[in-house]
Amino acid sequence: MKKIILFALTVVALVSSCTTPMTMGKQYPAMYEEKPLTIAIMPPINQTTHTEAKDYFYTTMYLPLCEKGYYVYSPYLTMEMFQQESAYDAEQFIEGDLGIFQKILGADAAMFTIIKDWRRNNIGGLLTVDVEYVLRSTKTGQTLYSREGKITVDTSINGGSSGLGALVSMIATAVNTAATDKVIAGRKCNAFVLSDLPAGKYSSWYGKDASNAAGKKMIKATVK
Amino acid sequence: MKKIFFILVAVLTLSSCTTTQSLYSWYNYEDATYQYNKKSTEELQVKMLEQYKKLTDKQKGTRGVVPPGMFAEYGYQLYKTGKKDEGLSFLKKEIALYPESEKYISRIIKQLEK
Repeated sequence: MKKIILFALTVVALVSSCTTPMTMGKQYPAMYEEKPLTIAIMPPINQTTHTEAKDYFYTTMYLPLCEKGYYVYSPYLTMEMFQQESAYDAEQFIEGDLGIFQKILGADAAMFTIIKDWRRNNIGGLLTVDVEYVLRSTKTGQTLYSREGKITVDTSINGGSSGLGALVSMIATAVNTAATDKVIAGRKCNAFVLSDLPAGKYSSWYGKDASNAAGKKMIKATVK
Repeated sequence: MKKIFFILVAVLTLSSCTTTQSLYSWYNYEDATYQYNKKSTEELQVKMLEQYKKLTDKQKGTRGVVPPGMFAEYGYQLYKTGKKDEGLSFLKKEIALYPESEKYISRIIKQLEK
């Protein structure tokens, strides 16, 4: 018995050590060179047909970026400015010069997001979002950080598999999914993707996380 | 045999100990602002302002200070509801706490005072 357990433990240890983890310092070297302090959240670039996705997703990035230790310009305040300056379409900036945001806001970096999927499936009980994140320097224009997340939130309710039970759970699932806001999936996507964003000045991890493991460029997950 | 199990349990318990603590307390900020953004009714505005008050009064996060942008947002909302002086003083508090915000916040103050 002992031998079996030891063998199993060895196998687990070997398998987990096979994939040498990429460190954050190696994956995002520009973040450690430039050390941005202030981040402006750009209005999301919406590639889906759901027009509401842009406005609602826009504000969800504020809290997780603050918690990462950055100074983040309040999206509720910058939204008005972007609209006034007819800059509410971030498409024109994603590859262009960002110097203007340094000049007007004092931002060191701009966070772009591209919403590729934003959908609800009431029968199956699934909310799906797919978002690509690109953080670019306003000084050098280089990409400091980029990652994509495809997150599915499972809102299904299981009321039994046979006959009436199945019908009840199908209806309950549809109702629960319809009532769950898609923005919840957006928030979860931020949490998953930004988990390996190097920490900013106000975090106790600032300057200490370069040797931490970085995540994959594309992260896919289903959460309950 | 029991020892191995004990060690495994101990390892699992220890590894779950490291919970990341929040830098700031957010209370119900996300939902309150989101709901108001969706539907700008007076009732939802009151709820949102309550959250701003809590956020700027009581911070229990590890930093113990108000999160970036929050004094500015609160100040801006107060100004819009007619409490102009109070609003401006909150906007100035943002600059005092976060000097890196000066460029942008002074711009907002200038626009409001026009």
